[in-house]
Amino acid sequence: MKRLNDLDYLKLNKFGKLLYKLKLFLFAIPVFFKNLGLKIFGAIKGFGLGIKNSVSDIAYTFVKGNWAVKLSFLIFGFGNFYYGQILRGILFLLFEVVFIGYMIVPSGGAYWLSKVNWFQNGATVGTVQGEFKYNELYDTDIWVAGDDSVKVLLYGLLTVIFIIAFVYTWRMQIKQCRICMDITAKGKKVKSGKDDLRSLVDDQFHKTMLSLPLAGILIFTVLPIIYMVLIAFTSYDAAHDGYSNLFSWVGLEHFNELLDFGKGGIGLAFGEILAWTLMWAFFATFTNYFLGMFVAILINKKGIRLKKLWRTVLVMTIAIPQFVSLLYVAKLFDSSGIIGKLLLDWNLIPDSMLAAKQFSLWQNPISSKILLIVLNIWVGIPHIMLMATGILMNIPQDLYESSRIDGATGWKQYSKITLPYMMFVMGPYLLTSFVNNLNNFNVIYLLTQNNQLINTDIGTAGGVSVCETDLLITWLYKMTLNSAESKYYMASIIGILVFVVVAVLSLIVYNVMPSTRNEEDYK
Amino acid sequence: MATVKLTNVKKVYGKDTVAVQDFNLDIADKEFIVFVGPSGCGKSTTLRMIAGLEDISAGTVEIDGVVVNDLQPRDRDIAMVFQNYALYPHLTVFENMAFSLRLKKVPQDVVYEKVTQAAEILGITEYLMRKPRALSGGQRQRVAIGRAMVRDSKVFLMDEPLSNLDAKLRNQMRAEIILLRQKIDTTFIYVTHDQTEAMTLGDRIVIMKDGFVQQVGTPTEVFDMPDNLFVAEFIGAPKMNTFKTQLVYEDGKYYVTPYGAKIEVTGAKAEMLKARGITSREIVLGIRPEHFVLSSEGDSAAIPCKITVNEMMGSELHLHGVEENGDKLIVRIPTISLTDEQRSSLTFGSYIYVTCEGKVMHFFDPETEKNLLT
Amino acid sequence: MKKTDNKAIKKTGLGAKASRRIDNTVVYIVLILISLIWLFPLFGLILESFKVEYQGQTGYLWPQQFGFDNYIRLFKETDFFKWFINTGIMGVCTAVLQTIFVLSMSYVLSRLRFKGRKGLMNAMLVLGMFPGFLTMILIYKVFSDLGLVLEMAPVGLIIVYCASSGMGYYVSKGFFDTIPKSLDEAARVDGATRFQVFYKVIMPLAKPIVIYTILMGFMAPWGDFMLASYLIHQNSAGMNVAVGMFEWLSKTMVNSHYTMFCAAGVVVAIPVTTVFLCLQKYYVEGVTGGAVKG
Repeated sequence: MKRLNDLDYLKLNKFGKLLYKLKLFLFAIPVFFKNLGLKIFGAIKGFGLGIKNSVSDIAYTFVKGNWAVKLSFLIFGFGNFYYGQILRGILFLLFEVVFIGYMIVPSGGAYWLSKVNWFQNGATVGTVQGEFKYNELYDTDIWVAGDDSVKVLLYGLLTVIFIIAFVYTWRMQIKQCRICMDITAKGKKVKSGKDDLRSLVDDQFHKTMLSLPLAGILIFTVLPIIYMVLIAFTSYDAAHDGYSNLFSWVGLEHFNELLDFGKGGIGLAFGEILAWTLMWAFFATFTNYFLGMFVAILINKKGIRLKKLWRTVLVMTIAIPQFVSLLYVAKLFDSSGIIGKLLLDWNLIPDSMLAAKQFSLWQNPISSKILLIVLNIWVGIPHIMLMATGILMNIPQDLYESSRIDGATGWKQYSKITLPYMMFVMGPYLLTSFVNNLNNFNVIYLLTQNNQLINTDIGTAGGVSVCETDLLITWLYKMTLNSAESKYYMASIIGILVFVVVAVLSLIVYNVMPSTRNEEDYK
Repeated sequence: MATVKLTNVKKVYGKDTVAVQDFNLDIADKEFIVFVGPSGCGKSTTLRMIAGLEDISAGTVEIDGVVVNDLQPRDRDIAMVFQNYALYPHLTVFENMAFSLRLKKVPQDVVYEKVTQAAEILGITEYLMRKPRALSGGQRQRVAIGRAMVRDSKVFLMDEPLSNLDAKLRNQMRAEIILLRQKIDTTFIYVTHDQTEAMTLGDRIVIMKDGFVQQVGTPTEVFDMPDNLFVAEFIGAPKMNTFKTQLVYEDGKYYVTPYGAKIEVTGAKAEMLKARGITSREIVLGIRPEHFVLSSEGDSAAIPCKITVNEMMGSELHLHGVEENGDKLIVRIPTISLTDEQRSSLTFGSYIYVTCEGKVMHFFDPETEKNLLT
Repeated sequence: MKKTDNKAIKKTGLGAKASRRIDNTVVYIVLILISLIWLFPLFGLILESFKVEYQGQTGYLWPQQFGFDNYIRLFKETDFFKWFINTGIMGVCTAVLQTIFVLSMSYVLSRLRFKGRKGLMNAMLVLGMFPGFLTMILIYKVFSDLGLVLEMAPVGLIIVYCASSGMGYYVSKGFFDTIPKSLDEAARVDGATRFQVFYKVIMPLAKPIVIYTILMGFMAPWGDFMLASYLIHQNSAGMNVAVGMFEWLSKTMVNSHYTMFCAAGVVVAIPVTTVFLCLQKYYVEGVTGGAVKG
C-alpha cells in the first residue's frame, strides 16, 4: 500500500485521515505476521548456525587440545583441573558423577525412561498395571500397586531435562577448555576459583540474584506447563488417574473433540464460553477504565475539597479481601438478599422473569451477566481511579494553560488533552487489564458459584456442568478440581487454546498500540 | 599520576552501530586532556570505556602500562565526576564524599581528615551534614568533585561536569577547575561539548566527530592550524566563515578571490603554499570572524555584504551579513576600533565592505575537507 | 454605552463563578453517592454481623436485636480461629519470601545488562499467558506425595505463592528504572561491587517499593481462593479464611451461617484493611508508578 508523506496526509479531511489510518492498520496485520514468521525463521536459522559453530568449535578443541582437554571429553572438568580451575573442575565432575549415578541406579533415570513409551499411540504411560490379587495371608483380594502414570511421566520428563542439561554442561566445559587454551596461548592467566567466587558478587551478580527466582519459576511454572502440554496427548482423566488405571498416549485424538459442536460438545462449549469471555473482558475493561477515569477527574477537579477522604473511601474497598466483599455482595442480590428483596417488593423484576420463577437477578442469563459487569465496576474503579489520579497529576499544567489561551474549555480540554494523554500512558495497562479480565477468576467464581445458572444449550461439557456466566478459566477450574468427572487431558487442551488466544490477542494489540511504538512522544 | 594509553579502541553497539572508531591516544602523566565534539560523537563513550563502564569492543586501554580492558571500574583506580553529579540522595555530603574510602575500609580518622580537607578546598565545609537535595546546583557540583578528589586516584575523569549549570556559574566553576588542577596534581580527562571549556582547560584537545578523532593538539595548534574543515568550524566562536572559491597563483604570488574580491596571501601561509608546490585550484577558504577588518567601497580586496543582524555584545560587535549570492558571513569587530559615526551607520540593510589580512586565512580541499597546509 | 459594557463584563464574571459553584455542587452530590455505594457493603457487613434474631438472610439491613452472638459462635463453634492463624502465617511468610524473589528479579532486569536479558523477559511474558493454575494438577500430585496438602496445605501454599512470584516483577522494575543509572556507575567507580551497589545505594532508595511488595505479599493469601482450594480439599485444619468461609454461603449452609459469615468477614477485614490503610501511600505510589512505566 502506498504511504502518504506527511504533507499529503495533512491535506486529507478528518474522514480521509481516519480511513487512511484504518487502512494502515489493516495492512499492518499481514506485515506483522510476515515479520513474525521471518523472526521465527531467523531464530531457527540462528539456532542451526549455532549448532554448526558449536560442532566446529568442539572439533577444533579436540584436535588442538592437549591430553587433558581430550580427556575432559569423557571426564568432565579435567581440562579445568589441568589449567588450575579447581573449583569449576570439581563442580563439573560432581555433576557428571551425579548424572551417571542417577541414570544407572535401580529405579533411576534409565528405569523411568524405559517406562514412558514416549508418544506411542495406544501405549500406556507406565508398564505395570496395579490390580487386586488374591493374597493367601489375608485370604482376600488386596491391591497390588503397579506404576503410577503421573509419576512415570513426571520422572520421565525430569530425566529428559536432566539429559539435556548434561549435554549442555558437556558442551560448556569443552567451551571452557577452549577459552583456557586461548588464554594460556596468549600468555595470560586463567580465572581462578577465587576470581569466580568474587565475580558472583560483581560482574556475574545477576546470576547470583536470579538463581533463586528462576529456579522457582522453572520448577513451579515451566516444568508443570511442559507437563500439561504432554497431558494433552494422553487420556488422563478421573477414570484413568494413572494409579488405579494407567493412562495412555492417544496422540491428537482428543483434539477432535474440539470439533464437536453438539449439545455437551467441547467445540460448542468452547465457542460459547470464549464469546462470553471476550465480551466480559471487553466490557469489564472499558467500563472500569472510563468510569474510573471519570471518578478520578471528579475527585481532582479544581475547588473540590476533602480529596483525600474521597480517595480513601474508594481505596478502602481494595483493602477488604475480595472473597469477603464479593461473596457478601453476591448474596445481596439473592432472592432473599437485601437488594434482591427490595427489587421484588418494588416490583422491579420484569414479569417475564417472575413467570419463569426467576426471583433473583442471578437466575437469568442476561441479567446475571449485566449484574456481573456492574459489580465488577464496583471492584475495579478504585484501582483505575488511583492510577488515573497519578497520571492526571503528571499532565503538565502548562498544557491546560496554553489551551485556555487558545480558547479551549471544559470538554475540549478533556478530549484533546486529558484523554489522549491518559490513553497513551495507560495503553499498556489496558492490555494487561484486558488479559487479566480474560482470566478474572475471583469476580466470576465468587459472585456466581453459590447461584449457579446452568447453560441449557451446553449442559455438561468436559465432565462438568457449564454455567451461563462461566469464563474459560472458571470452566477449566471446575474441570480440574471436581475429582469424580475431571478430564485433565481436556483441561490441558483448552489451557493450550487459552494460551493461543491470549498470546495472539496481546501480540496484535501490543504491536498497534501507540505507546510501544513512539515511546518518547509524551515525555 | 599515571599515563593512559588508548590503542585502536573501538566501540560497537549491537551489530553495526559504531560509536567510537579506532581511537589512538597517548596521555602523559599529569596531563589535562579534553575530549570535545558535538553530541553523539563518541567522546563520552570513550571516557566511559576508560572508566570501565562500557565494554571495549576492540583495542586496548592501558593505565600506567597495565591493560585494564577486563578490569572492573573499582580495580582501575580512577575517579569520575558525572554530568548529573550522581550524588547518593540518601547520604549526607560527608557520607557521599566518604563513600569510597569507607568501602576501602580506611580508618575513620583518615576518612575524616581527607573529607574535611577536600571540603575546605571546595568551600563546602558548612554543608557537610546536609543531604544533596538541600544543595544548589553549584554546591552539588562541588560535592561531586570532592567525592572524586578524596580518592587520590591515578586518573581523574570528568564527564561534562559543567553542562547542568547556568552560564554564569559555569564560567566560575571553570576557573575553579583550573585552580583545582594545580592543587590535585594528577592526570585529567575531561569531556565537554563546549569548545570554550576545551580551549581554556585543556593541555591538549581531542576533537571528535561521528566516532572519529579529527585532531589532537594543544589549543593553539587546533585554533591556528585546524586539520580539517570540521575542526576549523567547531573551534572558535562565532564559527569560522567558509567560502568556496578559487586560489590563484600568479607571478609567484597567491591570491584568493572570494566574491570578486582579490586578496593576496601573505606571510607564512604563502610560503607554506609554495613549499607544497600548490598552484591555482579550487579551495574552501576559511576566515575567522575576528580576522575581518572593515574596508571601503572600491577596495579591490573588499567583499561587499549587506547587514542582516547586528549583535552588540558590549566589547565587540557581531555583524551577520549576506553576500550578494545569499551566502551568509559573520564579522566580529572590537567595539573600541569603531568611531561613533561608524557604529551608528552599521544598521540593518546597510552595506559594509570587509577584507582580511593574507596571513590568517585557512585553505581546505573542497573534496576531502582537509587543510591544504598540514 | 460604556456603562452597559461594564455591566456585561461583570455579569459574565459573576456567571462563571456561579456556574462553577453549581458544577461543584453537582460533583459533591455525585461523590457522596459514589461513597455511599462503595461503603454500603462494608456497612452492611458490619451491621448484619451484629444481627442476633436470625442466622440466615433476613432481607433487611438493620438488626432488630444487636449482640455479639455471631462473634462468640465464630470462635467457639468453628475452626475460624485456626483458619485465621493459618492465613496470617501464610501472609507473613509470603510477604518475606515474595519480596526477596520479586526484588532480586526486578533489580537484575532493571539495572544489570547481561546476555539473554531480553530473551528472559520475553519468555516470562509468554509464560504469563498460560492459565497458570493448570500447573496445580501436577503440583497437587507432587505435594501430596511430599505431604504438603490438607492440614499441611499452608506450607504448600506458601511455596506456590512464592516460587513463581519472580514473574510479577513489572511494578518494581518500573520503580527501579526511575533511579538514575549514574548512581550505580558512580558507586562502581567509587569501588563498590555490584552487590555493594545493590545494598548500599539502591536498596536505601527503594524503600517505597519494598514496602509495596511486602504489602502485596501479605495481602495475597487473604484473598486467594482458587489455588488454596486445590491443596486444601475440605480439610478444615489446613484451610485459609477464603476456602473456609466460602462453604458457609453455599445453599445448604447459608441459612445457619450467613450472619456468622458477616462476623468473620469483619474480623478478616479489620487487620488487612488497617495494614493497608496505614501503608496506603506506598500502595498508591506502586500502582501509579507501575502504570506509568508499563
